[in-house]
Order: sequence, then C-alpha cells, then structure tokens
Amino acid sequence: MKIEKIHRPKILVSQLLLLIIPAIVAGVYMLWFINRYYSVLSDKWVAQTVFLSAGLIIACILYNYRFRFSSTFLPLLLLLFIIWKVINITFTGEFSGFYAAAGFYLFSGLFLAGWLVGFGFARFRYFPVLLSILLLAVQIVVVSKTTDISTQKLVYAFAPVLFFCIYMIYIAEVIRNMNEDDPAIGWFISKKLLGFFLVTSIMLWLIFSSFKKEFNAIEKEYGGSATKKERDQESLTKENKDGSISNRKEMGMAGGRGSTKRLVFIAKLDNYFPGTENPNPLYFTYDYFTKFDTLTQTLETDSLMPSNDLFQPDPSSIPLYFTKEDSSVLVKAKGLLLRKVVTAEVYKSLLSPTEYLAPSTAFFCQPITVEKEYQQQFKSAYRAKMYVSDLNSAYFIYNPAGNQQLEDFQQQRFSQLRKVNSWENEDTQFMRYYTYIPSGDAFDSIRLLAQQIAHDSVFAVDKIIGIRNYFLSKDENGLPLFKYSDNPGIPGLPSASKLNYFLFENHKGYCAYFAGATLFLLRALGLPSRVATGFLTVDRSEKNKAWYWFYEDQAHAWVQVYFPGYGWIDFDTTVPSTEQQQSPAPDGTPPINVQSAYFVANGIVTMVDTLNRRVNMIVKKLIYHDRVFDLREGIRTELDVSLATISKDTGTVQLKDLSTGNEITALSFSETLKDIQLDSSGSQGLLQKIPTPVPIDEIKIIPIKKEHGEKKEILQTKHHLSLTKLLFAGLFLLGLFIIILFAAPWLVFQLYRMKTTLTKNSITKAYWSFSTAFYLLNQLGYNRENSSALQFANNDIDPYFNTSLAAFINVYHKTKYSSIGLTNQEEIFIQTFYFSFEKSVCGKVPRGAYFSKFLNFYTTFNYFIQPKNLRHGEAY
Amino acid sequence: MEKHIDTELALQNIERLTGNIETVIKGKRKQIKFVLTALLAKGHILLEDNPGTGKTVMAKTLAQSIAGEHQHRINFKRIQFTPDLLPMDLIGSHIFDDTRKDFIFRKGPLFCNVLLADEINRASPKVQSALLECMAENQITMGETTFRLENFFFTIATQNPVEMEGTYPLPAAQLDRFFMKIIFGYADEDTELEIFKNYMMINENLINIQRVLDMNEILHLQQECEQVFVHDEIYRSVRNIVWSTRKDNQIVLGASTRSGIIFLKCLRAYALVNGRTYVIEDDVNDLAFAVLDHRLIYRNKETRMKVLPGIINDEMNRLTKLKISQ
Repeated sequence: MKIEKIHRPKILVSQLLLLIIPAIVAGVYMLWFINRYYSVLSDKWVAQTVFLSAGLIIACILYNYRFRFSSTFLPLLLLLFIIWKVINITFTGEFSGFYAAAGFYLFSGLFLAGWLVGFGFARFRYFPVLLSILLLAVQIVVVSKTTDISTQKLVYAFAPVLFFCIYMIYIAEVIRNMNEDDPAIGWFISKKLLGFFLVTSIMLWLIFSSFKKEFNAIEKEYGGSATKKERDQESLTKENKDGSISNRKEMGMAGGRGSTKRLVFIAKLDNYFPGTENPNPLYFTYDYFTKFDTLTQTLETDSLMPSNDLFQPDPSSIPLYFTKEDSSVLVKAKGLLLRKVVTAEVYKSLLSPTEYLAPSTAFFCQPITVEKEYQQQFKSAYRAKMYVSDLNSAYFIYNPAGNQQLEDFQQQRFSQLRKVNSWENEDTQFMRYYTYIPSGDAFDSIRLLAQQIAHDSVFAVDKIIGIRNYFLSKDENGLPLFKYSDNPGIPGLPSASKLNYFLFENHKGYCAYFAGATLFLLRALGLPSRVATGFLTVDRSEKNKAWYWFYEDQAHAWVQVYFPGYGWIDFDTTVPSTEQQQSPAPDGTPPINVQSAYFVANGIVTMVDTLNRRVNMIVKKLIYHDRVFDLREGIRTELDVSLATISKDTGTVQLKDLSTGNEITALSFSETLKDIQLDSSGSQGLLQKIPTPVPIDEIKIIPIKKEHGEKKEILQTKHHLSLTKLLFAGLFLLGLFIIILFAAPWLVFQLYRMKTTLTKNSITKAYWSFSTAFYLLNQLGYNRENSSALQFANNDIDPYFNTSLAAFINVYHKTKYSSIGLTNQEEIFIQTFYFSFEKSVCGKVPRGAYFSKFLNFYTTFNYFIQPKNLRHGEAY
Repeated sequence: MEKHIDTELALQNIERLTGNIETVIKGKRKQIKFVLTALLAKGHILLEDNPGTGKTVMAKTLAQSIAGEHQHRINFKRIQFTPDLLPMDLIGSHIFDDTRKDFIFRKGPLFCNVLLADEINRASPKVQSALLECMAENQITMGETTFRLENFFFTIATQNPVEMEGTYPLPAAQLDRFFMKIIFGYADEDTELEIFKNYMMINENLINIQRVLDMNEILHLQQECEQVFVHDEIYRSVRNIVWSTRKDNQIVLGASTRSGIIFLKCLRAYALVNGRTYVIEDDVNDLAFAVLDHRLIYRNKETRMKVLPGIINDEMNRLTKLKISQ
C-alpha cells in the first residue's frame, strides 16, 4: 500500500506553475477572444481574468492540502449568496444596481468556474480530459458565432486550444507520476516538457498542414472574402497588396473614417436639379446593412434581404466597353415616381478594380478606358447607370447655408414626401423585415426616446426631421448635445449596448453611430429603413461641373427610408464635425474628352508574334462604331499591336506576357477606321472591309476569374454554411483528436507488433519481442513497477500466465550482453516466442477487459513517461 | 575467453554448495548467492543485521562445506571481537621456547582459510586495521618476517547495527576493503514457521554438514570468474553509477575507483554464480546497492535510502531501454 504524504509542496508548486498558470493564460486568451465579440462583457477581460485565476489558485491550493470539497465549497456559495443579497438591498432598483448585480453575476460565475477547475485539477485524474472536451466545444461555438472565417483565423482559434488540451492532459499525468522526494524533480519535468513541446509542435503542424485544404474549402465557400480582405478593426478601407483599396463590407459600420486624405476615386455624375444646370450630388452606395443580429449585437449585411436592389458586378471581369446589366433591381427598388436614369463615370485611383460603387439604384456597368495621360493616376474606370429618384440628393437634409435655391428644393421635396403617410399596402414580410427591432431593455429605452422625439409629428418626413433635429439640439448650456468624434472611446463595431451608451450617455460618435441610432429610432416608429454605406459626395466642383472627388475620409454611413411609390430615400443624420477640416479642393483635371473607340473586339488569343508585333485572335464579341455584334462562332483576325499598350489588372505589361489562350479586349482609335462602315449581313464577311492587320491602340487582358455573381449566390447561404461547416470542422477536429487519443494504445501496439513480425534478424527480433511483450503487459495492466524485467517475469508473469517470459528474457539478455552467439535452439526460441506468448496472455484476459484496457491511453502514457523505481537496500 | 568457461560444471558446483548451505540456512538463497559472489571474487564480506538472524551459522556452514587438502575440513576460525582484543590475539605472537632457547612465532587465528570476525565494530581501531591490512594484502608482517596467508582466505565480518554504544564504527577507508555489505534480514513468515518446526533437524544438519566442494575447485571457480564477459555498456553503467555518486550533492564521499573495480569483480562472480558467462543488467541492479552503499558517506540519514537507489534506477532505466545491436 502506498501511503502518500499529505503535504506535497513540490507537487503543488508544479501544479501551480505548469497547470494553473497555463490555464490562466488560456483563460485570458478565451476571455479576450469572447470580449471582442460580445459587448455585454464590456471589454473588462483583465478584471475577469483576475477573478478566474483567483478561483483557480485558491481552489488548487486548498484541495491539494486535502480540504474537503463540501466543507469549503458550500461556505463559499453561502458567502456569494450573502454578497448578492447585500447588493440587492443596497442598490435598490437603480440603474447602478442593475450593473452591480450584472457585474457580480459575471465575476462570481468566473470565480466559481475557476474554483471548480482548480478543484478538478487538484483531485481528479481524468479531469483534464473532461476540460479539454469542454474547451474545444466552447471554442467551436465561439468561432461559429464570429462572422469571418479564414484558414489563418481557424488555425489561430483552434491551434492554441488544441495544444493547450494536449498539454494539460500530458502534464497532469507527468505531475501525477512525479516523485515528491526526487531531488532532481526540476530536471525530470523540464526533460518531459521539452520532449512534449517538440512532439506536439510537430504533430500539430502535421495536423494543420494536412487539413489546410479543408480549411481553405470552408473559407472559399464562405465567399472567399476573408483572406483577401482581412479586416483591421479601426480603418474603414483596407489596402490590398497592390496598394489599391477595397471597400469593406462594414464600411462605415466598423470604425472611424479613414484618417488620410488620399484620393480614392473621382466620378462624373450627370445628375442635375430638375430644369436647371445645377449639379445635384448623390451618395455613392456600396452596401446595405439591413439585418440586426441579436447574437453578435451588430448590424449586418444580408443578401437575403427582401427586394434585394443591390447591384454588385465585378468591373474587372467585364471586357472593356461591354456591359453588364441587372434590370431586376429596378423592379425590386419599387419606387417609380419621380425617377430618371442617370449616368456616372467612375475613375478609380486607390479603389480596387474589382469594386463597384454607384448611387442607388444602380443597374448597369460598363468598363471604359482611361486616357493615356491619366493612366498613371487612374487605374481603371467604368460607366454606371442608375435609376435615381429626383427626391434624392446629398444636400437633402442639411441646409446648404445661404443657398436659397437649395432650400426651396428641399421644402418642395418634404412636401412631396408628406403625401405619403401610409405603409399599409406594403408587403407584410417586407415591412416586418425592415422595421425589425429586437426586444429588450436596451431597445425599450430607444423606443421611448423615439416616441418623445416624434410625439407631435404627423408625417413620416417630419419624424425624420425630428430625429435630425434631436441630434442637432443643444443642451441646457447651449452646447451641442451630440458631437462628431472619430474616437468615441469604445472601440469596435457599434453594437446595441454601445448605441445605448452613445444615445444616452456619451453623445459622441462617428457616422456609423448616428446612422445606427437613427435606424433604431426609425424602426421604433415603424418606418422601414436600412443603413447604407459608401461615400459622401461633396460638391467642390466649381471648375468642372458635375465632377466629384472622393477622398478616403469621405467614407460614410447614412440611413435610407422606404417611401411607397418613391422608393428608398437617403437621409443623413450625422452631425457635422466641428474639428473636421475641409478636404483639399480638387486640384487635378478630370480625364474628360474620352475618345470613343471605333473598334472593340473581345476574344481569345491564338497566336502572339513578338518579333513583328502581331497578334492573332478569334473575335467573339465586337463593337464597331457603337454597334454591338455578337459573334457566336468567332472570326479569326490579325492585329497590329506595334503601337498598342497592353495592360492587365491595373498595370502595364509587355507583349511577351500575352500568351495564347488569353482572353483579351482589343481597342482601336485609329482614324483609318473612322469612315469604314460595316454591313451587318453575314458574319463571315463582316471584317472584310477592315484593313488587316487591324491597328490596335490598346489591349486589355482579362484576368481569369470567377464570376462575381456566383460568389453572391454562395454568399446568400453563407450563414447556414458557416455554422454547419464550422461545426463540422470543429467536431471533425475534436473527433479526430479523440479517436487518435483512444486509438493510440492500439496503434502503438500494432507498430510494435509489426516490428516484431517483420524483423528477421534474431537479435533485433529479440529486442522487438521484448518491447512488444512488455508493452502488451503494461497495456493489460501488468506494470512491472518496482521490479526489473527479469524479476517481474519470474515472480508475476510466468506463474500467472504460464508463459516462458523469463527464459526468453535470459536469451534476450544473452543477445544483448554476451559475446557468444546464440545456439540453434535459442534462435528458434526467439523466432517463435512472441506469438505463443501473446496467445497465452490474451487467452487469460477476457475479451471485454482486453478491449477496455486497450482504450486506456493513460496506461500508454505511463509506459513511456513513468520511470520504474526498482527496490533496493531492503533486506534481501 | 568467455567460451572457455565451463558453465555446466560451475553451475553444478555452485548449486552443490548453495544446496548444502541451504540445509541449514533456510530461505536465504539470495544472501547465500551474495556470499558466494564475494567468495568467488576473492573478496571479503560484511554481514550486518540484528543478532540471531543466522550470520554466524552462515559463515560456519560455508566453511564446513568446503573440503581442504586430503578431505579434511578447511581451517575455519572464529574470533569474537571485543574492546580489549589486541592485534597479537589475531596475528599471533613470538613466544620464548625453552627447549630451543629462542623466540618462535606462534601463529594466530588469522592463519586460516575462512575467518569469521564476529562483531567487528566492537574491537579497537588498532585491531580492526590489523585485520583489514591482511585482508587487503593477504599477508602479515611481523617484525622482520613476512608471513603469507593461505591462498584461499575469506573473511566474513559481522556487525550489529543496534546497540551502538561502546563500538568503534569502521572508518570509510576500511569499509572500502569489504566487497559487499549484506543485510541479512529475517526469513519470511512461512520459512520462519518451517524453521521453528524443524530446528532440531537443522541443528543436526549443522553438526553433520557435508563437505561438498574441494578448495581447489573454489580456486578454479575464482579463476573462471575473471573470464566472464562484460559488455561495454555494463562497463559504462558501472562508470556512470560511480560518477553519479561523486556528483550527487547528497553524498559527501562518493565511490572510489577501487570500488568500481570491486564492483566489476563482483559482477563477474555474480554472473558465474547465476550460471552465466556474461554480465546482464539485472546483475548490476542486484549488486549495486550491496557493493556500494557501505562505501558512501551521506549528508544525512534520511536521504540514505533514496539517493543510491535513485542513481541505480536511472542506470537501469537506461539499460533496459537500450537497444544493442551487434
């Protein structure tokens, strides 16, 4: 019988150092991770960690000193209960009382969790296994709740937890097997740790590299957006590798405006006030935020929104001068009154070639060329068309100071909209979706505020103006109640609790806060509304009428309200920034006077002659003098590219980079083509009149890319996919981990057995037979513990199993230590020993016991890590 | 070398001797083996245990089992060590012979084949060192003459770990001369019962003990011992153990080089006692404590039972895992 000492300070210290501190680190990591996504926790992860670790450490110390669980845990519960009572009594009904109680729940919960974990570590051998399963499960849930998935993030999320789990199981067992009285205990542990870190890092690396494909698959199905546009939390726009900018999905929702004043794009917008020559600027929309996720407490884009009127083509995938249209969005936009088609030309400088921005409701996209002298500044351009309401304007809600004409227009619009005051005939599903506001205390207070603001307004427009006026109102000191601030003191996405904080306490925020708050106020009043993000249009175009310059700091978020008949109307309630400086006045000249190409051919390259600078291609589509020919079968034609600039994506390339099979668009501005007309009869003779080779001025190589539309279809199901896929991935990992863990004893055994079977050389065979036999015995619970192999065989195994293990060990020792060779008899004995041994051992062990023993990976661990302590110095 | 050893014969002889001793000493096979190991390694042995565990009987039986020249008993002497014992009582003295009118040398009890030095720690250091000198040198110098001891000379010293008052504990340098210190121990419960039932017969056996082995055969076995094969790894592990005892900070005085050599001699002898012509890891395991423990001086008594076993364990774990391919 083993009588253990009650006080085992070394074991306690190693538990604290090697188990509890890593557990705390893991706790910090998880808390920090959770805090990033759940605003309820209000980012106090340091304090939370302190409580968790206090529980862990106290429990670990107490229970290592053999305190009884019930006599310590029950008083603790009692104490917490008393504190809770006291809190309830002292802070009756106050708001602070609620916060105190909530804080107390959180912290007592963490403390108790830490306590129980510490107890488990101190007392239960198998506790680490339980905890690992729990941790992995929690991590799966947490990860599946977060919105963006990428290989890297999956690895970052799972690898530490998985590593920690394995570490925990291993180290707990090492500590258990530690000899308190061994003076070299530190060395023992460091040896084990070193070995462990080596083995696990190799193993984890193997696992993650072999499952990288799976992760990538998940990521791809998720829309492929996550890797390319890794979000950084504090900036609206994100720089791509080539230095261009992609608009982020959460543009205007995630953080302050971009701080730099770099030019993103410029646009010519042919929109004027009715009957005048005065340009009417419009907001350039990128995305809509329509859905509020109660779990993450954030507004989200949702491609499943009813009447999806968002047109999102990828301009870089459309050949030059060819068009992509989606007229379905016009139907879905629903508003037909006072609408007109407006054209805009967008020249991108920092904006990525794949991005598409236009005033709502856009339905048309046509990539166009940029004049040569502007190509340095503007990488690509497209023409957009949209169906625009006369009532919309970037001037719409703020009075352009001193401009009587604008004020008049504004009043006219308001009166126009006052005609609408009933949404009764609208689709109920549509209404329900766009007026959804979650229930709960936080939203009740918003509802209350909305009622106060709108109590004397009859018309919807007046309610909106009321909200605007509320944001512009002054407090009792005559100072503005709300202030614009890029840094409202609460980082991250504005969530429900942050909006509450913004509306009722802080009164500071950037556009996303104003837009978000307005959205809930509007929805509380029953007005269907959504948040739009994109770019604010500032008219500074005295020199060049209707040309607008867009800088990074113009990224913006505002609100759209649906008016039956008129469609979605933009409203902006963000208060002007007091400290904001004017963006620099546009200093460049717009790339006007775009020459139109006479000949535009799209097709596949069949031959490239770099010497004579000739290219042969099969023309599939042709635009000649603005007439479009669709040539199904294709026409072979020769191009003279000696003067042509060849470009790919945003950069200019050499002719040698053009290869057979590429899809290109070839343009010609050549005057020789000016007067040649084509007769449309018969496709074969179509190009006969054109001189061959055709002089070409510009070639654009179309990158091989997936259709943007396909991506969107996948995006539609993204939420379901992400959750199930992730759950699968997580469960798969978990399952794999468990299977590997439980199969390990058997696998190791098979490895040993295989070695034994395959080895023919008697000497090595003896070694493997010996190892396999002892592994098998150990796994079946016959551990030689305090005896040497020979003693163990002589005293325990041979009498019980009726085997000849001792005789075998003698022969084995002879092979190991003697200089004389084996006799024939011994050779035969070695060759035949193992399987007869296995047979007699397995014959004695019942099937069930055999099976269950082989599932116990702890025995396997022990076999490899537990040193044998042979008996010495006793009376013989 | 290893091939020339006749293991069959050696084992047979050893079995005969062991069997014979076992008719008197019950349930002490391992201790008997150790004593024979020391005997075959040409060493001496220190038996330590409480009174009445059979130490003296053991020595006696061993001595009587070996036949001297002409089938006579070999010369067995027993000396009870007491504080007033003088070196002369051991070595012998010059006495005046009236008839020859000269001093003649009267040999003391040391001139024998098997010497039982009972309670060696009760004699004065002077006596102890006199004894230990002849144990090491196998000779006695008396005045100008040097007397060689018998070729076959085996000392069994006993000491009593309790009752330490009035004793002179052996200094480390002298303990180093003993090849092994054996803790004799009580017989287990069943054996003890058997002894109680048959003590009459055992007594009888002791008187009528057979002489089963010739002295020359013993000498032959001693020679064969030197031929036992020791693998490089065994040498290495002996080296490791010796070095570890020197490095360990719980041990004030570690094992000497001589003790390493003695350890190897004992390993060889022990292998032969077990009928093997090569040393195995279990031999190291079995012998290390008995050979080394009494040579070490520990920092404190509590760690005594832990330090050396720890060192041996480490070495055993290394040897067991070792894969030697030739």
